[in-house]
Amino acid sequence: MSRSVTAFLLALAALGAAQAHAASSLKTEHVEAELVTDDASAQPGKPTLVGLKLRMAAGWHTYWKNPGDSGLPTKIQWTLPEGWKAGAIQWPYPEPLPVGPLMNYGYDDEVVLLTELTPPAGAREATVPIKAHAEWLVCKDICVPEKGDLDIALPVSKAEPKKNPMFQAHIERAKNQLPTDVAGWTSEASMSAGALVVRLTAPEGAEPPAKAHFFPEREGLIEPAAPEKLTRAGRALTIEMKLADPPPADLKALRGVVVSDSGWKGSDGRKAMNVAASVGTAPLASVGGSTESRVGESVGGSTWAALAFAFIGGVLLNLMPCVFPVLGIKVMGFVRHAHGDERAMRMQGLVFCAGVVLSFLLLAGLMLLLRAGGLQLGWGFQLQSPVFVTLLAALFFVLALNLSGVFEWGAFAQSMTSNVSARGRYADALLSGVLATAVATPCTAPFMGAAVGFTISQDSLHSLAVFATIGLGMGVPVLLLSYFPAALKRLPRPGPWMETFKQVLAFPLYATVAWLTWVLGAQAGNDAVLALLAGLVLVALGAWMQGRAANASGIWRSTLAAIFVAVGILVAVPSSPNEREVPMAKDETWQDWSPEKVRTLVASGRPVFVDFTAAWCVTCQVNKRVALYNIQVAKAFAARDVVTLKADWTRQDPRITAALASLGRNAVPVYAFYVPGETEPRLLPEVLTPSLVLDEINRLPAARVASAAPH
Amino acid sequence: MKPLALLALAAISGAAIAAAPPGRPAPEFTLADLDGKPAKLEDYKGKTVVLEWNNFGCPFVQKHYRSGNMQALQKRYAKDVVWLTLNSTSRSSRDYQEPAALAKELATFHAQPARYLMDDPGTVGMAYGAKATPQMVIIDPSGKVAYNGAIDDTPSTHLEDVKTAKNYVVAALEEMKAGKPVSVASTTPYGCSIKYR
Repeated sequence: MSRSVTAFLLALAALGAAQAHAASSLKTEHVEAELVTDDASAQPGKPTLVGLKLRMAAGWHTYWKNPGDSGLPTKIQWTLPEGWKAGAIQWPYPEPLPVGPLMNYGYDDEVVLLTELTPPAGAREATVPIKAHAEWLVCKDICVPEKGDLDIALPVSKAEPKKNPMFQAHIERAKNQLPTDVAGWTSEASMSAGALVVRLTAPEGAEPPAKAHFFPEREGLIEPAAPEKLTRAGRALTIEMKLADPPPADLKALRGVVVSDSGWKGSDGRKAMNVAASVGTAPLASVGGSTESRVGESVGGSTWAALAFAFIGGVLLNLMPCVFPVLGIKVMGFVRHAHGDERAMRMQGLVFCAGVVLSFLLLAGLMLLLRAGGLQLGWGFQLQSPVFVTLLAALFFVLALNLSGVFEWGAFAQSMTSNVSARGRYADALLSGVLATAVATPCTAPFMGAAVGFTISQDSLHSLAVFATIGLGMGVPVLLLSYFPAALKRLPRPGPWMETFKQVLAFPLYATVAWLTWVLGAQAGNDAVLALLAGLVLVALGAWMQGRAANASGIWRSTLAAIFVAVGILVAVPSSPNEREVPMAKDETWQDWSPEKVRTLVASGRPVFVDFTAAWCVTCQVNKRVALYNIQVAKAFAARDVVTLKADWTRQDPRITAALASLGRNAVPVYAFYVPGETEPRLLPEVLTPSLVLDEINRLPAARVASAAPH
Repeated sequence: MKPLALLALAAISGAAIAAAPPGRPAPEFTLADLDGKPAKLEDYKGKTVVLEWNNFGCPFVQKHYRSGNMQALQKRYAKDVVWLTLNSTSRSSRDYQEPAALAKELATFHAQPARYLMDDPGTVGMAYGAKATPQMVIIDPSGKVAYNGAIDDTPSTHLEDVKTAKNYVVAALEEMKAGKPVSVASTTPYGCSIKYR
C-alpha cells in the first residue's frame, strides 16, 4: 500500500470521526439526545439559550439536580469558542418518581435542560461550533450511565436573532417548566423534631393552591419518600417534610422548588415557583411573630370548617359540669316566665346570648392583646393565674351558697329567682351570660382544641370570629328555648320543686370549688390553699349575715356582710402568686417533659408518649384516671419500652405553648405519641379510653420490635 | 423462629424505610450467606463490622469493583474488621442474582468480604435506611452505628474517580482505630437505588 493511499484512508477515517462528532443528535441504548437552540443566530454580547434534549425510552428516567434517594444529575461540559461563556443548567421542575420504598426526583419521557451561552461582545460574524459533552444516568429497574458528545454550528450575527422554528415547541415547553420567582409570595421554614416545615404565604387577597409538592435543592436533606403533609389555612400553605436522620447540621437557608398544577397567584400560569427561606429551629410559631399555621387534622383548615367546629364546640360546652348549673338557673328563670310575656322572654334569650358572645370576644381580645405583647398564651390561660383561680373559687362559692339558700341576692340580680322589672331581668340575663363564659373557659370540650388552635395562625379578625362563634354556639340552646317556650311548658309548673332543684344545683358548684382549690394547691402550694379556705369561711360568714339581714332592715348588717366577703377575698388571694413556686407531685413512671428529651429519646430509638396536661383541665384528669393510669395501659407502656412524659401546663410555660402550637393546638389535653421512624407524632383524641391507648401502643411498627429483641 | 416472625411483621407493617443514624444501636439481623449458613450480627459483638450494600448490576458498584477499590478495602481491613457484604435486591428485580452467580462474581473480582449475605426481602436494608448501592455502614464494637452513608465523596461511575475521591469509610475506620470520634459520621449515599421490589 502506498504512502499516499494510507494518508488518504487516514484522512477519510478522520473525516468520518469528525462527522460522527458533528452530530447534533445521538442515540444511546435508552436515550435520544439532541442539542436544540432557541435562536437561529447569536448576537455578540447577548445570551442565547441552548438546550440538551433527552428523550428517554418508555419507563426510563434521568435525574433532577437533587436526584432524591439515589441517582445522579445530568452533567454538561461545554466546549465553546474563545471568549464564550456558559451559564449553569436551568433545571425544569422535576417529578417525584417512586422506586419501591424509595423516591427519586427526575424526568421521564422528555426533558430539555437549558443553558445560557453568551458570545463575547466582540465576536466576529461567523458560524461557530458549539460542543457539549453530556453524561447522564438513566434508570428503570436498573441504572445505566450513558454519555455523548454533541455538536452544533451556530451563526453569530449582529442582526436581531430570529427564533429557530424547528425547536420552539421544545424550548417553550422547557421555559414553561422552569421555576420562577413570583412577586408577593413569602416563605419561611423551620427544622425541628424530625420535621422540615416550609410555609408559603400568598399575597393579600390570594389563596394558596390545595395541592403542591416541594422539592428541596439539597440532597440528603429530607426523606423524599415520606409523604409531604399539606395544610392550608387562610393565605398560608404549610408543607411538612420528614427530615433526614440525622438532619444536616449546617442548614441556614432552604432552597427549592414548589410545584402546583394550578399554578401560583402571579406566576402567569407557571406551575413551579422558586423558594428561598431562612430556616429557624423553633417551630414556625416564633418565626416572624406569627404562629404555626398547621391545624389539627380534625379541622379541615378552611375558615368555614373552623367556624362550624367552633359552633359545635360551643353547643357542647353547655353540657360541661362547670357550665350546666348556670344554664340550669337560666332555664329555671324561663320556667318561671314561660307562661308570661313571650316577647320579654325572647329579649332575655337574646341578651343572654349577647352576654356570652361579648364575654368570649372580651376574653379572646385580651388573649390576643397579651399575645401581641409577646406572652405565650393559650386558651385557658386565665387559669394559670393563682389570683384568677382564687377569685373564681370565691365566685363559685358565693353562687353555691346562694343556691343553697344561705342568702338571697339584693335587688340588683333578684330576677334570677323572682320576677322584677324588665330592666333588672336584662341585666340578669347579660350577667348570667358573662358568668357562663367565665366558668366555661376551663372546659375544653372536644373540637374546641382544634378550633382554638386554628385561631393562633389567623389574623385577629378571623380569631375573633371563631371565638364569637363559640359563644354563639354556647348561647344558642338558651336562645332557642326563649323562642320556643312550648318546650318549657312541658316542664312541671313552677312550684316547690324548683327550690329543691336549685339547691341540688349548688352541689356541682361546691365540687367545682373543691377542684379549683386543688388547682390552686398545685399552683401555689399548701399555704395558698389555707388562705383560700380561710377566706371562704369569711365569705360564708358574710353571706350568712346577708341572709339574716334580708328580713331585717338594718343596713349596717348588709354593710358588715359585704366587709366580711371583701376581707375574705383579700385573705384568700395569694400575696405574690408568681413567686410561689412549689414543686409538683411526681409520678414515678411519668418523667418531666422537655423538647430536648423528646428529641434525644426518639433519636435513640425509643417511642415517647407525651401527656400535655394541666391541673385545671378536667378532661385531662379524667383521661389520666381512666386511661393513662390504667394498669393494663401502664403495663403495655412498660412492655413496649415507651417513655412516658408529662408536660404540665398548670403554670405558664412558653416551651409547652410552643410545642402545642407546633402540633396545631392551643389547649390541653393533647396526647402525642412519638414513634421512631415517623416524622409526625401520632395525636390521640382528646377523650381517651384504655383500649384506644392500647391500640395505639400495639400499632408500634415492627422495626421497633426488631431492635427490642434481645441482642 | 424469631427472625421469621420479625420478617412477617415487617411485611405486614408495609415497607417504610427506617433510619440507622450514627450513635444508635445497629438493628440486629440474621441472614443467610451464599452457602445458606446463617450469619448473626450479634455474633460479631466486640468487633468493628462494616456493612457494604452490593448489587453487581449497578454501575456505581462496578466502578468500585472494576477499579479494584472495594477489594483493596476489604483486604486492607481484613484483620481489623468483619466485612459483611449485603445484597438487598428483590427477587423480582432484573438485577437479582442467585447465590451461585454471586459467588462467581466475587471470584471474578477477587473480592474478599468475610461473608456475603442475602437480604432479598430487603428487611435489613430498610432497617438500616440503605437507599443506594454501594451504601456503607460501620458498626463499632459496642454495637452502635459509627458511620452510615456513601463510600466516598465523588458520586460518579468513572473508574478513575476513586483515586481522587475522599473515602469516608477509610477516614472513619482510621479515626476509630486511633480511638478518635468519627468526624464525618453521616453522608448522603450515592448510587443506584436499592431494588427493594
